[in-house]
Amino acid sequence: MIPSSLPVIVATAVLTLLAAVVLAWGYWRGFFRDFDAQARVIFEPEDLRLERPWETPVDRLEREMRHGKLVAPAPGEWGGAA
Amino acid sequence: MTAPPTGAPSSDAAALGQENVRAVAAARGLAPEDLDIRLRADASSYTVVLVLFAIAIGWLLIGSIFGDIASLKLHWPDFLTRQSWLTFGRVRTAHLHAVNYGWATAALIGTSLWLTPRLVHNELKSPVAALIGGALFTLGIAVGIIGVLLGFSDGMEWLEANRYTAGPLLVIGGGLVGLSLFRTVAARRAAHLYVSVWYILGAFIWFPMLYVTGKWPTWTGVESAAVNWFFAHNVLGFWLTAMSVGAAYYFIPKVLGRPIYSYQLSVVGFWSLAMFYSLNGMHHLVGGPLPTWMITTSIVASVFMFIPVVATGINLHMTVVGRFGALRYSPTLRFVVLGAIAYTAVSLQGSFTALREVNRVTHFTHWTVAHSHVGGYAFVTFVAFGAMYYIVPRLVGHEWPSARLVRWHFNTVLAGIAIYVVSLTWAGVAQGLALLDARLPFQISVERSLPGLYGRSLGGLILTVGHFIFAWHFWRMVRMPTGAQPGARPPFHEAQPILYTDEAEAGRPQTFRAAAHSDQIARAPAAHDGNVRPAQGTS
Repeated sequence: MIPSSLPVIVATAVLTLLAAVVLAWGYWRGFFRDFDAQARVIFEPEDLRLERPWETPVDRLEREMRHGKLVAPAPGEWGGAA
Repeated sequence: MTAPPTGAPSSDAAALGQENVRAVAAARGLAPEDLDIRLRADASSYTVVLVLFAIAIGWLLIGSIFGDIASLKLHWPDFLTRQSWLTFGRVRTAHLHAVNYGWATAALIGTSLWLTPRLVHNELKSPVAALIGGALFTLGIAVGIIGVLLGFSDGMEWLEANRYTAGPLLVIGGGLVGLSLFRTVAARRAAHLYVSVWYILGAFIWFPMLYVTGKWPTWTGVESAAVNWFFAHNVLGFWLTAMSVGAAYYFIPKVLGRPIYSYQLSVVGFWSLAMFYSLNGMHHLVGGPLPTWMITTSIVASVFMFIPVVATGINLHMTVVGRFGALRYSPTLRFVVLGAIAYTAVSLQGSFTALREVNRVTHFTHWTVAHSHVGGYAFVTFVAFGAMYYIVPRLVGHEWPSARLVRWHFNTVLAGIAIYVVSLTWAGVAQGLALLDARLPFQISVERSLPGLYGRSLGGLILTVGHFIFAWHFWRMVRMPTGAQPGARPPFHEAQPILYTDEAEAGRPQTFRAAAHSDQIARAPAAHDGNVRPAQGTS
């Protein structure tokens, strides 16, 4: 008879070890370098130049200085009929 | 022009497509290959995502009705008692399967299938396999639920669907969807894996392992209870939570146009979840006939959950700080930000509930039901609603028809879940304290929780109204022909009519996969913005 805890212990160990192995592999493959670029991978150039109605004039100016002239968003840009 | 029978566009159509992409890209100051990759990524997942969303909404309605019936029976015991398939034990299980595996899983798989191609800057690979996988998974849920209603249950909570009929359909279906996602990531053009991709890949690695462990046919007795809660708790953290947090990490920064507050924290959040979450489930068995060290370890692991939760909570919150006004403009943001707040709340509540002194009062009470609805609804479902509001217009090519219906949907589901959770949390504490008082008969614990049960039914019925509003809106959305709102087209859809010319003429869908300019994209110097790796790259 096996202890009642064995299946959970083995399954937990497998899950944890798997995570550790993938973490080490990811580090070795360089997946954890250049976090700044990783954080920006979701953006296309236009995303950063869209006029956002909730932003203050200062925010807009800052965005314009960083990313160029702002463009008007298309209807529905923010997800759902606002 | 006429589409060839194979679905491949004529060279004229392809040339027009290229020209159109260039024109639109130039007008918007984009590199043509950027726009083209985005359009092709979206088009490749079009059919499977739309079908999964429709299926998910169908399950949401079915699950809501089962949930309402189950809730009403708790304070109206004579309601629907003549039919065995409508007894509480069966409809409650059917509700759980319909909303967790039918609605939430299908909605989040659809979201993942749409997000992944965008995040890796490539088309969805094997979309037909994903579609067949989604259909088999849905069939598996249907078989499981019908079996439960007929009285065939495997007898483990969250795992009642029969392992020999529904099980293979769920495994093969989920496997095919996973195959599509893994092939897509393997063929990525993006130089980096965004944190959402880690969450999505993690979910599709973890879920099969959990399911096979949970459904292994040799578990008996106490061992079975331990495996049951190992599965039931981990399916929340490793499956629904993983895909939902992954989606939140995309939609919040994307809508706000600012990167996540601390990418380092998001990485810490993901890996600490992967490392520490799996032992949490045993805290459901506090006081049960399991080794004390095992329960204690689980409680410690539950407290460790502060690390990923606080990391994720701080990160998402700080990304929105100073931009809460955006919630007025973006229904997506409204749902996803509230979902993220609920994630923090439910996770901290979970760690707190795992402590023995708290568990002594709340165990076996309505508190647990309220807690699971904060997680399953206020967090997971809100994120799924937000994702759908963002994705569907980009699939069908026009804006949601009615801002009023969006508002009604949001207000009803928010009011419904608030009433539900507050009522049941309060009822759970009252019930737990009454159960602990040896001077009181059991009946008192029932009477004290009765007002909370009325609140539960009221909240549940309001939620169901909200779901029907959403389903009606979705139906109107997909029925509306593309271009019906010429002044209200979502971003980049002006590029699609020409690329879709053949579809319009042939009356059937055609993906960008067939576009003749794919060769041009493959050869394009793709590293222009630092996000795209060359097509022949090795990283």
